[in-house]
Amino acid sequence: MRSKALAAIALAAATALGLSACGGSSSGNTADKEIVLWHMENTPSREKAFQKLADEYNETNPEYKVKIQVQDWGQVYTKIAAAAQSGKQPDILFAIPDFATYVRGLGLGQPVNDIVDDVKKNDGLIKAATAPYTDGGDVWAVPLYGMVQMLWYRADLFKAAGIDAAPSTWSELLADAKKLSAGSTTGIAVPSGKNLATDQVLYSFMVTGGAANMFSKDGKVAIDNDKTVGAFDLYKQLVALSPKDAGNYSWPEPQAALNSGATAMAVEKGQYLAPFESESGRPASDLGCAPIPVADDGGKTGSIYYSNGGMILSKDKAKQQGAGKFLEWVLDPKHYGDFLNAEPGLFLPVTENGATESNWRDNPVISTYKNCVDAMLKQSETGELFGFVDGQYISSIGEISGQNILAQAVQQMTVNGMSAKEAVAWAQKQMQDAIAK
Amino acid sequence: MTAPVSTRSARTVNSRPRRSAGVGRTTTSTKVLGYVLVAPIVAIMAFVIAFPLVNAVITSLQDQRVIGSPADFVGLDTYLKVLGDDKFWSALGRSGIWLIVNMIVQTILAFATALLLQRSGWWSKSARTWIVLPWVVPTVAVAVIWQWLLNSNYGIIHKMFAAVGIDIGAPFADGPLTLITVILVNSWHWFPLSAVVIYGALATVPHEVIEAAKMDGANAWRTFWSVTFPLLQPVLFALGLVGSLWSFNVLDTIYLTTKGGPAGATTTMPVYIYDTAFSAFRSSEAAAASVLTVIVLAIAGVLFVRFARPKDFA
Repeated sequence: MRSKALAAIALAAATALGLSACGGSSSGNTADKEIVLWHMENTPSREKAFQKLADEYNETNPEYKVKIQVQDWGQVYTKIAAAAQSGKQPDILFAIPDFATYVRGLGLGQPVNDIVDDVKKNDGLIKAATAPYTDGGDVWAVPLYGMVQMLWYRADLFKAAGIDAAPSTWSELLADAKKLSAGSTTGIAVPSGKNLATDQVLYSFMVTGGAANMFSKDGKVAIDNDKTVGAFDLYKQLVALSPKDAGNYSWPEPQAALNSGATAMAVEKGQYLAPFESESGRPASDLGCAPIPVADDGGKTGSIYYSNGGMILSKDKAKQQGAGKFLEWVLDPKHYGDFLNAEPGLFLPVTENGATESNWRDNPVISTYKNCVDAMLKQSETGELFGFVDGQYISSIGEISGQNILAQAVQQMTVNGMSAKEAVAWAQKQMQDAIAK
Repeated sequence: MTAPVSTRSARTVNSRPRRSAGVGRTTTSTKVLGYVLVAPIVAIMAFVIAFPLVNAVITSLQDQRVIGSPADFVGLDTYLKVLGDDKFWSALGRSGIWLIVNMIVQTILAFATALLLQRSGWWSKSARTWIVLPWVVPTVAVAVIWQWLLNSNYGIIHKMFAAVGIDIGAPFADGPLTLITVILVNSWHWFPLSAVVIYGALATVPHEVIEAAKMDGANAWRTFWSVTFPLLQPVLFALGLVGSLWSFNVLDTIYLTTKGGPAGATTTMPVYIYDTAFSAFRSSEAAAASVLTVIVLAIAGVLFVRFARPKDFA
């Protein structure tokens, strides 16, 4: 009996040890000399390109080697919150501006003014890239790459419809979309699903309609105005000219429709360039691009602009320096082209030197669509992002963008039959509720 | 000729294996050994079940925004806030519709399939294997497959209907139609499980009873309704209870196809809770809605057991 009892105790002890091993953390010497980087660019080509860069950096024998851990946008909000709670946050976190406000709300993040100043001095950072990370005189992320939207169109369908030039105003856009709608082809495909894609395309039209700033000077929601109503009204009409299931469209569907010739126009970022020829079976010259059309009355050139940056979250001074060195290394023109080529056309340079970097310029996608790439770079200069317009820094913007309130307002028009004015008033209330304490 | 009752009792008693002396006594060390052996699994179960539940209740009594962020105790304020939210009640009502329609559709599909599987033809025999395919397909693939099939540009179902002059519109983007579409997709995904269970239960119905009913002149429907169906009731009861709870809690199919849209048309209670926690970053409100949902489900479960339990169900 004694042997049975001993065996049982041994079993219990082994189980307890096993459990403690599951919950424990490993902290060896290797981890002390590592910089953990989280990014959410989890398509195979981007993962591979980022890993290759990290390997190249590690081969230079830096004091801190970079270890990449790929995350998913759908889970990173909870993962970073859990990491902040346990004090095991990554040393570098790739972010977009509204996500950066969320991360800072968790008590994470270090100012990166010195690094940004260095890059600005050496390579010329564009203003739109740093503005959304600037709060209280400090910059909270090192801009790494930008994304901007354009109007993409099928030049062959335009020609067949007798349209000579891309639309530059809202009225031209509507007229062309109507003219191009024939048979099974729709004039345009804009998303109206409850997702960020819809938020982004609608916001681009808000920018070109003069309604980019969604907040008053004291940081209160202020979208209930005529300019926003105008942009909403335009979007409602564009949805009506889109495929009938646009109410469930996100990013890929308009692109697939454009490539298949099922639609003649779409508004999106530069990911349309790389797969166009292979997916459409058409020559590159059939993909046209133009700035987002502006409102006929009081509009201004622009688009939504996402500056993707690297936040430094480490609380260890030495690791902060190590992380900064890696980010500067990435932005160095010698390596920056390889970084941007992780997704040629979608990832745009945030530095003036980067825009002329030969490794990037010589990429087949970039050289084939040189005119469109240059147009995107020009569009970047006037890019805006909700919550960060005119020097604002709305720290609660994540609570609005996270709920896709702009997209939900579009659905109120397209599904529940609200007018543009009613939908804007609805969105105003939803946004106020979202940030209310 | 039957044996006298006293004789049968005696035989039963005598046929029981005799206990050897000492088996009935349990020493303290044996008791301790028993407790030690079950202790790890009890600890694990307590941790994985009780901890999240208790944690949800505690969170629901606070005003926490982002999960894991500091929060103050606010008593029942969060519950009052959730109960005063129209979206909560809409989601609850939609979950009720979701549950009932799913149950009806899946039961009909599963029963029909199980009865077909019972036949002896080669088709039925082969179908016993491939009929489970929709169930084993991962939900993410189910969502993608159906979005492709129903896409207005390249969806084959869309094209087939269009070829005969029928416009099916936008099944995933058209208000009330979307809820029905997602219910059908979910039912397609899950009915094979119920079909297999019912098919298994059908196999346990004694052949002699069916034969006896036929000999008494009962037709196929009468045989099914008066003989087969009552014999299946215990299985159907268990399947109904577990299936309803599973169905109520479905989040993935809805989120992957519509994210609760358009305009909230497919926002059931799990979607409402998920959005509240991870889109609106209001953890305490999500926790309160979860606790209220558990209470609603518990009441529904008790009522189901009370009124739907077969008389001879233990």
